[in-house]
Order: sequence, then structure tokens, then C-alpha cells
Amino acid sequence: MPSRRRTLLKVIILGDSGVGKTSLMNQYVNKKFSNQYKATIGADFLTKEVQFEDRLFTLQIWDTAGQERFQSLGVAFYRGADCCVLVYDVNVQKSFDSLNNWREEFLIQASPSDPENFPFVVLGNKVDVDGGNSRVVSEKKARAWCASKGNIPYFETSAKEGINVEEAFQVIAKNALTIGDEEEIYLPDTIDVGSNNSQQRASGCEC
Amino acid sequence: MFETEIHDLSDDADYAAASQQGPSSKAGHGISNQSYSSEPENAEIVYLKDNVTIHPTQYATERISGRLKLVKQDSLLFMSWIPYKGQSSNARLSERDKNLYTIRAVPFADIRSIRRHTPTIGWQYVIVVLSSGLAYPPLYFYNGGVREFITTVKQHIVIVRSSEDANVFLVNNFQDPLQRTLSSLELPRTISIAKSASSSSFTNSPSDGNLERLDGGPRQKGSDAARDISIQVLEKFSLVTRFARETTSQLFRESLVDDYRANENKKSNRSSQDKPREIVSNDVRVTRSEVPVPSDPLEFDKLSLVWGKPRQPPLGPEEWATFLDSEGRIEDFTALKKRIFYGGVEHNLRKEIWAFLLGYYAHDSTYAERQHVMAVMKSEYETIKNQWQSISPEQAKRFTKFRERKGLIERDVVRTDRSLPFYEGDENPNVHLLRNILLTYSFYNFDLGYCQGMSDLLSPILFIMEDEPESFWCFVSLMERLGPNFNRDQNGMHSQLFALSKLVELLDSPLHNYFKQKDCLNYFFCFRWILIQFKREFEYDKTLRLWEVLWTHHPSEHLHLYVCIAILKRQRAKIMQEQMSFDTLLKFINELSGCIDLDAVLRDAEALCVCAGENGAASIPPGTPPSLPVEDECIYQQDDEAL
Repeated sequence: MPSRRRTLLKVIILGDSGVGKTSLMNQYVNKKFSNQYKATIGADFLTKEVQFEDRLFTLQIWDTAGQERFQSLGVAFYRGADCCVLVYDVNVQKSFDSLNNWREEFLIQASPSDPENFPFVVLGNKVDVDGGNSRVVSEKKARAWCASKGNIPYFETSAKEGINVEEAFQVIAKNALTIGDEEEIYLPDTIDVGSNNSQQRASGCEC
Repeated sequence: MFETEIHDLSDDADYAAASQQGPSSKAGHGISNQSYSSEPENAEIVYLKDNVTIHPTQYATERISGRLKLVKQDSLLFMSWIPYKGQSSNARLSERDKNLYTIRAVPFADIRSIRRHTPTIGWQYVIVVLSSGLAYPPLYFYNGGVREFITTVKQHIVIVRSSEDANVFLVNNFQDPLQRTLSSLELPRTISIAKSASSSSFTNSPSDGNLERLDGGPRQKGSDAARDISIQVLEKFSLVTRFARETTSQLFRESLVDDYRANENKKSNRSSQDKPREIVSNDVRVTRSEVPVPSDPLEFDKLSLVWGKPRQPPLGPEEWATFLDSEGRIEDFTALKKRIFYGGVEHNLRKEIWAFLLGYYAHDSTYAERQHVMAVMKSEYETIKNQWQSISPEQAKRFTKFRERKGLIERDVVRTDRSLPFYEGDENPNVHLLRNILLTYSFYNFDLGYCQGMSDLLSPILFIMEDEPESFWCFVSLMERLGPNFNRDQNGMHSQLFALSKLVELLDSPLHNYFKQKDCLNYFFCFRWILIQFKREFEYDKTLRLWEVLWTHHPSEHLHLYVCIAILKRQRAKIMQEQMSFDTLLKFINELSGCIDLDAVLRDAEALCVCAGENGAASIPPGTPPSLPVEDECIYQQDDEAL
């Protein structure tokens, strides 16, 4: 089914305060890093055009406040998400321990129609810090956790150095597409995936 | 019967005098209409317009039409507007209403300014503001003629365009010689226009059969009923404003007039005041293909005209000294706060005055008492600070909550206002002070702890106070009011966002309906504004100014909510025109940061607050921050305290 329509894919970045959510978003969208970012208050998003197999998509990347106390606001921002990016700081144990909480909180608040198969991507950020010497969470441990949660794709990134950021977001966009758009594009060739239709799309497509 | 003295509207006694004047003028009722009997012998009518109408209620169908005249007598110019008798469009309008709104021969000496409004679609109108600050309700020119009106006035007296708004003409403004010169430069053109304009106004006699109402309704037989009824003065501000609000709102809701272009004009006027203005033709009606934007029911420029309180220069040392008695007490704290509301405080006085505004020092304390308080509080600060400083690494290992808090604070202070010289650079000692104060606060108020946003609130206080213990206690005072913003259950934020939605409903129902339709009534897009008091929305020095203004709690503790509405109102046309949804609205609001005109917004906020009056206050639940919390033994209730 030929489609040249531009479609919106909504991505939410979650994780503890200070793990680098804003920096990752800005590195991916603007190819820039700054030491001057302020703690995010409330929420904001950036958009980027991405192309996949001849089709254009608008990736809408949401950056939210990291403090637990603001989680209750999530319900307004998470709805209609097509992919959720969980970020931790490889140098901070607590931020890794929180991943489970962020994931569960997201599933509760966004209430996607098929929580089992909702696409997550995990990023272990700040691998550049101190040449890796201050690292406390090993890649192995992180990958094990991702595997236990239904094989969540995992990337080790540095927003500061731009390491793996592009690659990670490629996968994020692709996975967002699998649930965000599948039924819309491929449905005619598929039988009985109607259960996916109730997937909420807050912003719909921009035609 | 030109009794000019009774048009001085500056106090209530005149209102009474004006009311008394009513019966005597009613004696003239039986006199035939065409004779202009109300004008004295030597008066010359230089302008006359029929079907000039006011809308006393919110229903467009309720209107009072009348005749507007400019009369010249003994080189003085007077304006009058007399309603037609006995043909109200609606029975609900009584003769009393008509009497109330009648403008009977007000001399231009008593007029401060005239604002003209010539929307592309819909009726043109003018608002006349008197020297006393009172404004007459908008006079709608159903048959056009606003330009003629202005040019005729210009022919007879000196009026100059306001430098702030090209649609405002200032009367009796002789203070600015430059403006007068500029104005006189326009004269040749003006006269030629005025000549034709004024001549046509004379041919447009009351019996002219071509008069038609714009709304296509039956022609009013206004011509046979013109007469003076009484001299009336308009009511107080709130009434006038409510009037303007209801009227405009309903009018425009009914006719779906698109005011967007007019708003755009206003904007461009501000930036290019010197460009000659193109005067929109009286009868042009443009059909727009874009989304119609319901007009702002409050129409800002009207309001700023009605209240028109310009911002003042900040309070300086000499003036500050006059507020203190010989022992250092502030004699009239209310007056001081009011003064600060209108202009803020000079930077080098902030350290001293902020302590009073925040309530750290009692306003009736003496110099000596404050010295004492400072010493006591300094030592008390050290005591609390010592509580966390004495935690050993071994103890910290077993104190997760402390470690987490410390980590959170340390992550935030290094990204708080680091571009400011005061906080910039590696190992900046002021960043270290931020950390110390926030950690100490999280022990002083252990229940509340630390929450993101607090570092934004502390930064300006430390920048001004420069002293660690004093900054701490001032921050404590501020958090007495704003602490609930950071409650775990977010109830402080929710009550403010709720109040905001109620206030928008009250002050701009079309905008409220728009947000409702777009599922934006949670007002999360204003979350950052409220949580940290617009700290991220203005340059640093503007934030300092805004905060000291907000801390005066004049004219309301909740002025910040009216500031929100003022900003939203300035963007309402764009928001609705572009059909912003939750996402785009949030982004749009975030990106307003750094682009908000603080003085203008404060003026609007004050006007909105006065305008909302008691209804506004009633929309805000008791205890809504920054009101002090409703007394409770435990301020920050925690779940485990139930045990």
C-alpha cells in the first residue's frame, strides 16, 4: 500500500534526574551538547524528520522531569506514545535500579493496548565519564535486565560525545513504527490484528 | 445648558450632582426633536452621527442607539451622545439605563484620550477616556464614521497620537513638544480629509433615509426622538469594565467577528509607531478563509486605558528612607508594598527590602531588633546545617534518603543559572552555597525534602542576599508560601491550575471553551510558569523585578495567576488561529520563554485582577499557594504519619 503521508511517532524519554535525557534528545535532534542544560521542569519535546523505506515520519521526542515526585503528571504526557526510552547513568547505581519503576509507571499511566509488546529501548548513558573508570553498572548486568523484560534493545551511549546516539534513535524510531503505524499501513494485507486498532494516538497523523 | 463643572468625574460627589441634574433636563422632553434645542444659541454643531450605539449588556440584541455630536461653543469643543427615546431594541433596557449612559456635552478639556477601533469586520467603535480615568462604554458607529469623528476633533483641538499605540489619540497632551510637532506635520493631509469629512457629516442629517443597521434588522426610527434626557456619569471602574467585557464577548460570540487582523495591527503598531497608519475604510467587509477567532471579551487596550497605570521607576534610596521612622520601622507597609508593586526596587536596595517582603524581618521591627534577629537566626542556621554536616560517611552508607537527597541537590545546583557570572565557572563558591542551603532546608523541612525547582527559587535569593544564613531564612519564608508547589501529591500545583482554569473561564470564556475543546483544561502547559514563578520565562533581572512585585501581594496574593492569563490573552489569537493542540500548545508556551514583555503583562494582570474582582477571588480555593496554608498541625502530611 503506497503511502507518502507523513506520520507522527511519539517517543517518551524517561529516567532519573540527571541521567542525560535532555542531552540525548538534543544530541540526536540538534547534534549539539551543552553543559548548560537546566533541570527540566514539566515537559518539552523536539521533533525530527526521519525516513524509512521511502516514507517520511515526524519523530516527536518528549523530555520529561526526572524527579519521581512529578511522575503523576505523566498521564498527560505519555498517552499516545509509540515507544518509551528508558535512560540510566552507567555511573549511578540508583538510576539503573529505577528502570523497573519507570517502566512500570509508564505502562500504568500510558496504558497502551498491548503492554506486553509495547516497545521500550534502554540507554546506558554517560559512558564517556572518566574514561569509564567511574562506571558502576556493567553492560552485562544491563543487558541481563533488558533480556528479562522481553528483550528490550540496549545501547550504551554518550550524549556528550555523540556515541551511539544516532544508532539508538534509529532503532527507537523503527520500533515506534512497529506499533505506531503497523495497522495503518500494513493492515490491508494482514488478517485479524484488529486488537491493535484501539492503540491510542493522541496526535494522529499530520496530513 | 453647558454646565461644564459637573462633568468633572473625579469623585463621587459629582456623580450625585449629575444625578440631581436629571429631572431638570427631563423638562425638555416634549420639545420637538429636530430643533437641537439642547444647544445654546451660539453653539455650532461640527459633527453629527446617528445610530451610534452602546451595548449595555452582554446581549448584542440589547442596545441603546443614539446620536453623537461634536458641538463648538466659544472656541470650546464638547461631545455629547444622547440616546433616542422610546425605541429600545429590548424591553429589558429601561429608561433608567438610557439615562445612565447618556453623555451630555462633556468638554474636551475633561477628556484624556480617545481610542479608535476599526476592525476589518464588524462595527467600528471608539472609547473615550476622561481625565479622571473613567471611560465611557464603547460607542459603536453602526454607520461608520470613526475617521470623520477623529478628523473633526483634530480640526478643532490639539490631539496627538499616543507613542505607544497609534490608535490612541491623546487630548490635552502638551507635555511632549516633539509629539505636538509630529502631529502638526500631519496637518495638511488631515485638513483636506477633514474638510470633506465634516461637510459630509452635515449632509448626513437625522432624517436621512439611507440609515441602515449593519445587522440588517429593521431600521430604527431614531431621528424623531433625539433629545437630552439627563446628564449622567458612568459608573465605577468595575462596572464599566464588566460592561465592556460582557458586551464585547457576547457581541462577538454572536457575530463571530474575526478580530485577528485587528490584533495583528495592534502588534505592528507597537513596533512601528512612526509609520503612517493606513486607515481602514469604513465599510470594508473582508471575508477570511482562516479559522475565525472569537474576540477577546476583555479587549486589552480598553482595559489599559481604563486603568492605564503606567509602570513607575523602581524605588530608590531617597524615597525608601521616607518610609522608615528614626528607629528603622516601616511606617506604612501597605503603601510601601503598593509603591513596589508599581515599580519594583532599585537593585542595591533589594537586599534590605526583600527581607521585609518575604517576611523574614517584621516590617515594624527597629534596626536594633533586626540586628538581634539576624544574630539569633544565624546561629540557628548553623545548628540545622550541622545536622547534616555531622553525618559521617559510615552513617551516610546507612542513610539512603540522605544520600539520595544530597545526590539530587548536587546534580541540580550545577545546572542552576550557570551562565550567570555569579554562578559560572568550575568550583564556584556560590554553587556550593546553593547546595548547603538546599541541604539544610531539606533537614529543616524534612517532610518536604528537596524537589526540583527549589534551586531555581533559591538562586535569585542568594544572588541578592549574598549571605548564607540570611538567604536560607528568606528561602524558608518563601517556601512557607510556595512549599505546597512541591508536595508529593502535587495538590498545591493542582489547586493553582484549577484556579487558573476557573479564572480563564471567568475572564475569557471563548479561550476557555477552546481549551476545553482541545482537552487542555488541565493547564499543564502552565506548569513551569507556576511551579517556579516564571523563573524560566524571563531574563534574570526581569525575574527579580517580577518576584518583588508578586511578593507585595497587591492587588492579590494570586496575581501570578492573572499574569498567566495576561500572557495567554496576548497569545490567544495565535493559539486559536493555529488551532494548537495539547502538544503544540505546550511547545508554544515553552518557547515564549524570553519573549514576554514583563511591564505590559503586569499592567494587564493588574487590570484583569481588578476586573475579576470578587468573582475572581471566589474562583481561587482557600489555601491555594502562595496563600499561607490553612492552619494544620502537620504542614506536609505524610502517609506514615497516620500511624
